[in-house]
Amino acid sequence: MIKTIKASLSEKILFIFLICLGIFALSSFFLLKNKCLFVDKIDLKKIDFKNPENIAVMNVECGNVVIELFPNISPNAVERFKILIEKGSYDGSAFYKVVENTLIQAGDLEFGNKEYLDYSKIGSGKSGLGLLQSELDDEFEFTEGSVGFARSTEFNSEDSEFFITLKEIPIYQGEYTPLGKVIYGLDILGKIKTGNKAIYVLRPDYINTFKMLNSN
Amino acid sequence: MRFFIIFILSFHTSYVNADEIYNLLKIPNLEVYKLKNDNKIRYLNAKSDFKIGVDDNISCNQASELNLENKFPIIEKHLNLYNSKFLNKIKLKYVVLCQNLFISEINTGGIPDTKKRTLILDIDFNEKYFERMIHHEIFHMIQNSHKNNFNEQVFSNFNSSNFSYAECSTCSDRLNLDLYKNTNGFLTEYSKSIPSEDMAEIFSFLMTDKNKINEIIQNDKILKDKVEFMISELKKIDQNIL
Repeated sequence: MIKTIKASLSEKILFIFLICLGIFALSSFFLLKNKCLFVDKIDLKKIDFKNPENIAVMNVECGNVVIELFPNISPNAVERFKILIEKGSYDGSAFYKVVENTLIQAGDLEFGNKEYLDYSKIGSGKSGLGLLQSELDDEFEFTEGSVGFARSTEFNSEDSEFFITLKEIPIYQGEYTPLGKVIYGLDILGKIKTGNKAIYVLRPDYINTFKMLNSN
Repeated sequence: MRFFIIFILSFHTSYVNADEIYNLLKIPNLEVYKLKNDNKIRYLNAKSDFKIGVDDNISCNQASELNLENKFPIIEKHLNLYNSKFLNKIKLKYVVLCQNLFISEINTGGIPDTKKRTLILDIDFNEKYFERMIHHEIFHMIQNSHKNNFNEQVFSNFNSSNFSYAECSTCSDRLNLDLYKNTNGFLTEYSKSIPSEDMAEIFSFLMTDKNKINEIIQNDKILKDKVEFMISELKKIDQNIL
């Protein structure tokens, strides 16, 4: 005959504790894995934009980032940027250069796309539209959320790559062509995968879509 | 193949910390020392040692706080002699301050780079020549950005026919920077190394002790011709620089 042994109170408590711990660990794993969990979502229909023709919407993993473009500061650069956005050229573009809490860069249309990522050439890709003259503005301050046209070490080499600053970078003033400013969704950009202090990001995050507001 | 590329890339990207200044100048481990200046020069200092260039042939050490405190006012005073318009013409915007600057294992006071609009200065350079060295390096930026003005063959022709410069500045043992008592066409021993160093030495004396040069050239025809050539070409770039 098998004798049943009743669990003591302390054993019951320990058992319940272990179950709770398991549930907590499992839920934490899924919650922490979801980097977009605490990011505010933006409803574009609820926002009344003053200059909708200069509003671009970049969709990334965690949501929409709304950028206001400044054609009055750099007309040629903004025109180029709009052309590439409207062509859908930035869709699938990799954020291949990310300096944590500092800046993110994307827009290599040739070697930095989801469909074709070439680490040996990334950063040197061309749009096919030719290089632009730099349109520098000594008064434009690169504060948190500023969007600028990237270039090589020399001026007048802007093409398609752009960067967004995640903090104020005074040294960029007068150095890069300003394109615009993020007006919504800056916290979303903070979730973009970084290179862990390295220059380039392995297995980077991508732009899902990049459109002008009017074309939505 | 993909694993191989990732493996190689991990080596390429792990040795240098990316930051906004590196992104701009491609020199690691720098921080802003002073940004707002009347002539728009931006001063940066090495917060830790760095190596750059082909095969890391240029190296410089972290600038000590004490050294920066002592040397920065001197550097600023001398660079303030140049206005922003002139600096823009010679492509100088960034001055990097560090210690023990070496290029290909040879100690040097400064390394100009007009492409990056940067001048790297060794703030630990011999104090006796420190102030003059700043202008000496500035001249190299002037020459690099105005090659037609400072034609080395034209300049060399001022020398007596039996004199010849060395093949390069570092392959000569003519390195002394002291002012000659008897100049005979050259201000220092280093002036005899190559034409561009000869011009840079003249320029540095013109910027730091013009009266002395005016006095010397009264009795030195070759040097007088050289100085007049330099002043004439510099005035084509900026009327007020000297």
